[in-house]
Amino acid sequence: MAKIGIMSFAHMHAEAYAASVNRRSDAQLVAVWDDDPKRGADAAKRHNTRFVDDLDAFLDSGLEGVVITSENVKHRELTERAAAAGLWVLSEKPLATTIEDGKAMIEACRSAGVGLGTAFPCRYIPSIQAVRAELEAGKYGDIYAVTCTNNGQFPGGWFGVEALSGGGATMDHTVHVADLLRWMLGKEFVSVYCENGHLMGRDTALDDVGVLHLEMDGGTIVSHIASWNRAKSFPTWGDVTMEFVGEKGVVEVDAFNQKLNVYDDRTMRAQWAYWGGDPDLGLVSDFIESVNERREPAITGEDGFRALEVTVAAYKSAASRQRVAI
Amino acid sequence: MRLAVIGCGGMGTIHASLAARCGFEVVACGDSRLDKAKALAEQHNAEAADDCLALVKRPDVEVVAVATPTPTHGAYVRAAAEAGKHVFCEKPFTRTPEEGEETLAAVKRSGVKLLVGHVVRYFQEFEAIRERVQNGSIGKVGFVKTYRGGIYPRGEGAWFHDYAQSGGVVFDSSIHDLDWIRYVFGNPTRVYCQALQRSDPLDYGMVTMWFDQGLITHTIGTWAHPGGFRVKVEVCGDQGMVTLDSKEAPISAMMRETAGGGPSMIVPGSPVPVSPYQLEWEDFAAWMRDGRTPRVQPEDAVWAVRIAHGALESARTGAPVAL
Repeated sequence: MAKIGIMSFAHMHAEAYAASVNRRSDAQLVAVWDDDPKRGADAAKRHNTRFVDDLDAFLDSGLEGVVITSENVKHRELTERAAAAGLWVLSEKPLATTIEDGKAMIEACRSAGVGLGTAFPCRYIPSIQAVRAELEAGKYGDIYAVTCTNNGQFPGGWFGVEALSGGGATMDHTVHVADLLRWMLGKEFVSVYCENGHLMGRDTALDDVGVLHLEMDGGTIVSHIASWNRAKSFPTWGDVTMEFVGEKGVVEVDAFNQKLNVYDDRTMRAQWAYWGGDPDLGLVSDFIESVNERREPAITGEDGFRALEVTVAAYKSAASRQRVAI
Repeated sequence: MRLAVIGCGGMGTIHASLAARCGFEVVACGDSRLDKAKALAEQHNAEAADDCLALVKRPDVEVVAVATPTPTHGAYVRAAAEAGKHVFCEKPFTRTPEEGEETLAAVKRSGVKLLVGHVVRYFQEFEAIRERVQNGSIGKVGFVKTYRGGIYPRGEGAWFHDYAQSGGVVFDSSIHDLDWIRYVFGNPTRVYCQALQRSDPLDYGMVTMWFDQGLITHTIGTWAHPGGFRVKVEVCGDQGMVTLDSKEAPISAMMRETAGGGPSMIVPGSPVPVSPYQLEWEDFAAWMRDGRTPRVQPEDAVWAVRIAHGALESARTGAPVAL
């Protein structure tokens, strides 16, 4: 029975992770800690667990693993504290906002002998898994080019504050797809060119749209759009899409295009309701099993770090207007 | 007005029939492959010739339509201009911006009218998007994405397959979108591009432009799909978005049997009252008849070449190109 705690409900994904822990019979949501006591106490009540105000007391409350869903820049400190207490860590993406922090998190967990996972639930989307299997089986032959998007609505709050988020849309919406590309193609990134800026008028000073041109091992060319360009009235939060151009064919994945079109007079807004899988449950289940089996999570800290490298290089490129090696 | 069509392949055939519908009289059809010239000439009761330069200069010809492979456009347009003929020229205007400037100068010197076939400006759906942007209904636009393409063009001869001649999908096809984006949003400052240009042949390109008013655009072009043709547009503003997908069409048909034997793919249909190619010729005719400024002006055609050529240079060097 994995005893799990959640550190901070600053990130909205904490909701789904907490609910996923509670759905597992091999895990128990033991406690919530949050540096915002009201937010933490409310969340604990919602998820039928207790709120522990004091961080030391939380870490000493019989936990085996923690899910860290704080603001991006706090991942490092919380990971170091959890690792020092001997706890397994699942960090929300991006793993960190700087190379230094990412390395420190990996090192902290390695030296403490605990597992470190990065929350990339997109690996658990059924359409993504199906296409990965086809790519691996060689159905499309060599992949020459890929064009991707991770568009979204502006999440607001701390996401728009650099001191907490470490960056804007490029920080928020690059790593999911960077990770999928590595995982689906089995290749690493070589270089990036990025154009980004605060162009969409979102309520932040940070970049709200970014376009990345990437190269991977073997010369695969990739473009990716990382954005908060979706209108408030758009029928859903955003998307993850990838078009693979290969030797034997082309395959397009619109990962959340398993949807109902919903027309609700109470909201006067058309909406898309996703009915596909439950990627968050897949992610959390692997973490729980990794805690119970005392093994590395399937998606490691190293995976989070590789995706972070792309983001950091993208910001460097946008500032220098040059292609940057990864 | 008396029209000579130079280049009697796919586009030349279309332009001949649409020009004829807009009051032009097709008097001569030229192609270095005389059989092609004859086939088209027959449809229009015109003369056929394989010496296109001589045809361009014929005294009884008033207007010339150039629909030959891209690298030959400039020489025909300059010859026509110098002989005092008005010119319709297929896009891309020329293969290089330098030749574009030189050819534009010849056109200006002679005072003839030149319309280059950036036909996407005449597509009703694109015009509807432009109107929404212009009237401010989605606020200030910060991001645009376009997508165009499908199967590798089986154009007459192999010139499309020769990237030195055609420039591949970026120069020959994405140029439509690059031009349309500039039509709506003004001049870009720099361009970055990645392109496949494989000899299979198979081509796929991604072009990003930066505009100083605070706009990034991303244009994907494909000649890498096994079949079909698709256009997508997405325009994102600070107060809303507009999207378009040619897959969403009013007609969708699938045949039980085709000439090839088996059933056909689903073929979407989106009929319009007047084809955009005809609107292009109507615009050209109105310019000549009433002096009305056309939707595509000669400088626009040079700009389109400058952007697309810059994109290919970026693809080669891996660095952004200032425009």
